[in-house]
This record gives sequence, C-alpha cells and structure tokens, in this order.
Amino acid sequence: MIWMILLGLCSGMLVALSRQLNGRLALSTSAMQSSFWNHLVGFAVLVPCALIAGSFWPAEAASAHWFAWVGGAIGVVFVASGSWLIPRLGAALTGGLLVAGQMLSSVALDLLRGVEAVLWMQLAGVALILVGVYLSRRG
Amino acid sequence: MAARIPPAAEPRRPHPFEILAALCAGSLLTLMLLSNGMMAAHTTPIFASLTAHGVGTMVAVVLLLLFRLRKPAQSRVSVGRAPLWAYLGGISGALTVVVSTVVVNSSLALTGTMALGLAGQVLLALLFDATGALGLERRLPRRNDLLALAAIVGGTLLIIFARGGAA
Repeated sequence: MIWMILLGLCSGMLVALSRQLNGRLALSTSAMQSSFWNHLVGFAVLVPCALIAGSFWPAEAASAHWFAWVGGAIGVVFVASGSWLIPRLGAALTGGLLVAGQMLSSVALDLLRGVEAVLWMQLAGVALILVGVYLSRRG
Repeated sequence: MAARIPPAAEPRRPHPFEILAALCAGSLLTLMLLSNGMMAAHTTPIFASLTAHGVGTMVAVVLLLLFRLRKPAQSRVSVGRAPLWAYLGGISGALTVVVSTVVVNSSLALTGTMALGLAGQVLLALLFDATGALGLERRLPRRNDLLALAAIVGGTLLIIFARGGAA
C-alpha cells in the first residue's frame, strides 16, 4: 500500500517534471516545438511498450468513436500552453491554474452529463478554486 | 510585503490573459482526458496513449508548418541551444500514463490516484520554483501564490472526493 501511495505521488511528479523539461526546451525553441518533441519522444517510448503489451493495434481500434481519436490533437495545444506559461508564471502557479481550469470544467461536464456526486462538495470546491484564482491575481 | 527583493528576482503578478489562458488550457485537459479515457476503455490504456502521442505528433507538425510557431519563449535571461535532456519531457509524459494506470487499478482507485497525483505535482513544482531546477528561473512564491495554491488544492480535493462519496 505504501508503495502504491508513493507511486501515486510519482505520477504527479512526472507531470511536473515533463512540464519543466518542455518549458526549458521552449526557451530555446518555441512552445509549439516543445510540444512536438514531447509527443514524438513519447510516441517513440510507447511503441516498444505497446508491442510488449501486445496492444500495438487492438482489433477494437477501428471501431472507436471519432472523439476517442482527437485526444492527441487537444494534447498538443495543452502541452504548448504549459510550455508558454511556465517561464511566465513559474511551475507552481502554472500547475495550480491548469488544475483550476481542469476542475472547473470537469464539474461543469459532470453536471451536464448528470454524473453522480455530492453536490454541496462540488459547489464548495468550485467556490474555493475561484477564490484561489482571484488570489493568484492579487499582489 | 515589505521584503526587499531585487527586482529581477521578484515574481510579477500574472497578467489576466495568462490566467485566462491557463484556465482554458485546463479545460482542454478535461476534454483530452475524456477522449483518451474513451479510447482506453475501448482498447487499452497503452494503445490510447500511443495513439494520442502519434496523432499529437502529426497535428504538431501541421500547426508548425501552417503558423510557423517558432518564436522562442519569453525569457529574462538569454539562453543558448537547448541541452539534450530538455528534449526528454516526452519520456516522463509517457511514463505518467503507465504509472497512473497501475495506481488506478490498485485499492487507491481513481479518487486516490487523482488526489496523490495532485499532491505530487504541486510539491515538485514548488521545489522546482524554489531551486530554479532544470534551467528555468528560480522564483520564491509570493504569500498570495501560496494562498492561491492552497485554495485551489483544497477545492480540487473537495471535488475529487465529491465524486468518490457518491460512488
């Protein structure tokens, strides 16, 4: 269990590490170029992983909904945004504001799709996040 | 806020456009996770990540060619060529998928995975800022940066556990 907890922390640390590296690359190239390299290198790493896992081209892939294919296109803009923001705001504020946007939009999506959740906790969470965003702007 | 910090080291307040850009990018992440999650459920998590990176590479090439998005990022310090290790962000990005798939399938489930991921991300980001690690600027967070982060983390945990509580 303790190992799983450490691994869970690691998954978040890998996100911060990746953003820091991409941000450094963007300083010498550009935000979009750093996003390109991020995806190309990630692809190169995942090819052998997929081959070993035997899921290089699963039979179900052909019948996937079109929306399942556009995640990568969205990700390109997301990674480029992170690389653009991190030299301007620093790692902590960049990460915090990205998470804020992610959570506000995911609550909106949950409400639209009628996902089961404790409503007062969601609303309190949204309120706290909005306070946080407001504070980030204050000097 | 009477501390005497040399101007170059003093973090400036984020511009409203930067805050808006970050919030919009965060919403894109929600859509991306929805899309990748759909592919992962239909096929496998590894294949979902593989296609996301493959499609992403092609889209990045198209965008670079179309808009010539090659303007270097803004920096207060002059930087030369990027060191080779700066090209390796994609490795930790790809590893994230593998690691979080393992954790989601443990007893920590999605709620625990998201909460721990958030903690890990914020802690390492603060450490990076405090030390100026990996070639980015060192910056000590302002008091309001820390308060903002605390409120965002608190609100996020409430939302994550609001879903876990109903399940």
